[in-house]
Amino acid sequence: MSLPETTDEILPTSTDEVCAALAENASGEQRAVFPVGGRTALHYGYAPQTPGVALSTHNLHRVIDYPARDMTITVEAGICIDNLADTLKAEGQRLPIDVAQSSRATLGGVLATDTNGARRFGFGTMRDYVIGITAVDAAGKPFHAGGRVVKNVAGYDLCKLMIGSLGTLAVVTEVTLKLKPLPESSTLLWCRFDGWQDLDAALEGLLRSDTRPVAVEALNSEAAHDVVSESRLELPTNGPIACFGFEGTQRETDWQMERLTNELKQANVAELAQVSHEQSESLWFALADFAVTSEEPLTFQAALRPSRTIEFVKLATDAGVSIVAHAGDGVVIGHLPDDVTTLEAAQSVLDPLQQMAARGDGDLIIFDCAEDWKQSIPVFGERMTHWGLMDKIKQQLDPNNLLNPGRFGLPAEAI
Amino acid sequence: MSVDEMTTTSESLPAILDNLREIVGADSVLSSHEQLLVYECDGFVIEKNTPDCVVFPETTEQVVAIVKLCNQHQIPFVPRGAGTSLAGGCLPVGGGVMIALTRMRGIHEVNLRDRYAVVGPGTVNVHLTQHLKGTGFHYAPDPSSQGACTIGGNVATNSGGPHTLKYGVTVNHILGAEVVLPDGEVVQLGGYLAESPGYDLTGLFVGSEGTFGVCTKVIVRLTRDPAAYRTMLGVFETVSDATQSISGIIGAGIIPAALELMDQGIIEAVEAAFGFGFPLDAGAVLLIEVDGLEVAVDNEAKQIVELCEQHGAREVRKADSPQQRDLLWKCRKKAFGAIGRLSPSYCTQDGVVPRTKLPEILKFITESGARHDIRIVNVFHAGDGNIHPILLFDERDSEQVERVLRASDEILNRCIELGGSVTGEHGIGVEKISFMNKLFTAEDLETMESVRIAFNPLGLCSPQKMLPTAGACGMEHIERSHPARKAAL
Ligand SMILES: Cc1cc2nc3c(=O)[nH]c(=O)nc-3n(C[C@H](O)[C@H](O)[C@H](O)COP(=O)(O)OP(=O)(O)OC[C@H]3O[C@@H](n4cnc5c(N)ncnc54)[C@H](O)[C@@H]3O)c2cc1C
Repeated sequence: MSLPETTDEILPTSTDEVCAALAENASGEQRAVFPVGGRTALHYGYAPQTPGVALSTHNLHRVIDYPARDMTITVEAGICIDNLADTLKAEGQRLPIDVAQSSRATLGGVLATDTNGARRFGFGTMRDYVIGITAVDAAGKPFHAGGRVVKNVAGYDLCKLMIGSLGTLAVVTEVTLKLKPLPESSTLLWCRFDGWQDLDAALEGLLRSDTRPVAVEALNSEAAHDVVSESRLELPTNGPIACFGFEGTQRETDWQMERLTNELKQANVAELAQVSHEQSESLWFALADFAVTSEEPLTFQAALRPSRTIEFVKLATDAGVSIVAHAGDGVVIGHLPDDVTTLEAAQSVLDPLQQMAARGDGDLIIFDCAEDWKQSIPVFGERMTHWGLMDKIKQQLDPNNLLNPGRFGLPAEAI
Repeated sequence: MSVDEMTTTSESLPAILDNLREIVGADSVLSSHEQLLVYECDGFVIEKNTPDCVVFPETTEQVVAIVKLCNQHQIPFVPRGAGTSLAGGCLPVGGGVMIALTRMRGIHEVNLRDRYAVVGPGTVNVHLTQHLKGTGFHYAPDPSSQGACTIGGNVATNSGGPHTLKYGVTVNHILGAEVVLPDGEVVQLGGYLAESPGYDLTGLFVGSEGTFGVCTKVIVRLTRDPAAYRTMLGVFETVSDATQSISGIIGAGIIPAALELMDQGIIEAVEAAFGFGFPLDAGAVLLIEVDGLEVAVDNEAKQIVELCEQHGAREVRKADSPQQRDLLWKCRKKAFGAIGRLSPSYCTQDGVVPRTKLPEILKFITESGARHDIRIVNVFHAGDGNIHPILLFDERDSEQVERVLRASDEILNRCIELGGSVTGEHGIGVEKISFMNKLFTAEDLETMESVRIAFNPLGLCSPQKMLPTAGACGMEHIERSHPARKAAL
């Protein structure tokens, strides 16, 4: 974990207490403040260069308002994803975002890192669900944006600004979400291909498919092996794998499984396995947990055009990278192999991948690696024209650079 | 207000006009009083002010040059699409240069495999729809004004529409935008891909109502067409039966593609205009559409019919043929056009309540109309709880205008009390600025203001919009010499 070792922690129990703590800090010691939730993703971005204090949302876990018939919920940001899911399940509802380590990850952390997974193809990401927030800026000033209704254009959409901002702009304390009904049935179709070309052709064929999958995943053998053993299912792992998810009424998922099975048989699929509703949960979990890093030397996420994704996956596979791609969206998660132990070795794997991503208008960002490597590997890829605007926003909201200083490596964050 | 009264720009105006003509060509600058009259207001007719001139750029470079010129002379400027804003978003407060984007209407690229299209901001929403017909893909947001409004305007206002119940509003379908910032710098927000590192400035820009710069290119996400539709018309004795049915449908976990309500007043006007065969004695009708797989839609439709019947529907008709479906949608989307039959002027309000509060707010609207002696009819996105009471009046009668404003305010205040918002899709513009401090605290507004300053520090771009504080920075001179905004009320 990449917080300075001496970091002490404050544990406020309400938005007011967050305000008080931050106001006191801002007018007093001006220490750096590191907002933390479930501590599952603290390695994102650059580690803080200064000592400071962790502000934990651990004690902010209440459900504030759940008008289930309006299909919205307002909760405190420290609620853990599994608890949120249980609350919603009791009303037949859910937040359809795949989250790794969901027993620990908090909603606030998911929001700050814009976590998502396989089902983003069908359901989108956090920006499609957060309709209101309460947050506290570095000076201890609380602010709201959005509201509690599903449609609302009053004021600037600061919810969007907070999502993915890695806790650099404000501490989010409360979140209002728009919800979806839980589907009656959720199934997956797991397909092995003899080669990447066949798999890519099958993905292209999806454009004309009669089915509407909610997830379109591609895995190489290394990743498939990990995911399958984690799921404890019996599925083929040897060769390029595509995996399609279906959700809806049972009638809908049954029909789509059959239909896509037939379509793929026309498209050179080598082997097919249908994962039933009963088995699907463990596979969804395993797919989500793939993004979690353990001992791997480096984990990255690349964004590409969907049409260029398989070409990239193939290149990465040849370099020994373990890959799960949200192929329908062109988002690729990769772990470098264990034998990459030096910065030079990491760079020689990453360089061609970064170049290929850039050629397809994409980029490659580092989720996790040794902190000293981050001095040489650009964590957020090539700087883009909007980086200057980000810097101005950071300066406006956190002029003294107190919140997660240096996380993005912006000029405004320079110490 | 005429150009001559503009103290801020009048001295420099002739020189600026020459410069503008150099940038875009003489044909693309309007400056005579008669020409400018068309631009004195948008779909919000209660406040009016003419700009000093209107320019029609065709390229990003021209927009940059115009914006830099305005900066050089400290003149306010305001982007304008088709001018269908119902909140006065295009009102040139303080005069200045209006940048009309209607000539930047190219559909530059359509990429089905990667599910995006790149369009100019002036592209009319329905032109993109037509362009995509037959490809198996579409651009989902379909505001009722789609025959006229532009994608740039949709981005600026984060437009909704009938099908946003299931598919989400504009922001859910925008991948990226090229923006000329208020100081003339060009930035690319987002891109072609599903992810881009850093803050979600695309999401922040959408809905910023022209105050964060001029959008010169939009990358929209394309959605696959549904395999099948079922379109129904539920006929109800009372509005309350109709709204109870809505709660019933959504409560059963069914999210229709669209769920639109029309009350008796509007049915009458629409029937007179289009002759669909609406029952004139019904209290309300619900236009309900489900879409999805062929194997699923019949079942969903059947469930919906049952739920409507449980909640007292007189009958639920099915639009069996594509022609009937098209006509039904035409009636809905052109309902506003039919209102001309009811009164010379109308004001379309836009509020939101949690959808379970619909019966309450509709009752309140009826009472409010009676209290202020203003006829109000309703046609709205009921599934989202997004109400559009339409207040009928005669613009020439200032006393009626007063009553319309009072009734509107009362309804919007009630939306806030019920836990909702004063705008679901039309925006704050100039119309609703005075509600911002009812919805938001001083701290909220301060934070929003600081974000505005990051984009638009001098406040030259769309001054006096969205935030009650907007323009506090550098716009004092304009406010002092041009009190027209309030005077026009
Ligand atoms: C009959 C009718 C029905 C309507 N139905 C709906 C509906 O169903 N849903 C809905 O959401 N709205 C609806 N509206 C409102 C309106 O059509 C939308 O707000 C629409 O998005 C405005 O588009 P426009 O091109 O007309 O923009 P304009 O009215 O020209 O501008 C609107 C705002 O956007 C800014 N703007 C325009 N272009 C740009 C640009 N390129 N860059 C930066 N800022 C820009 C302007 O400054 C202004 O603030 C309706 C309006 C009418 C008259």
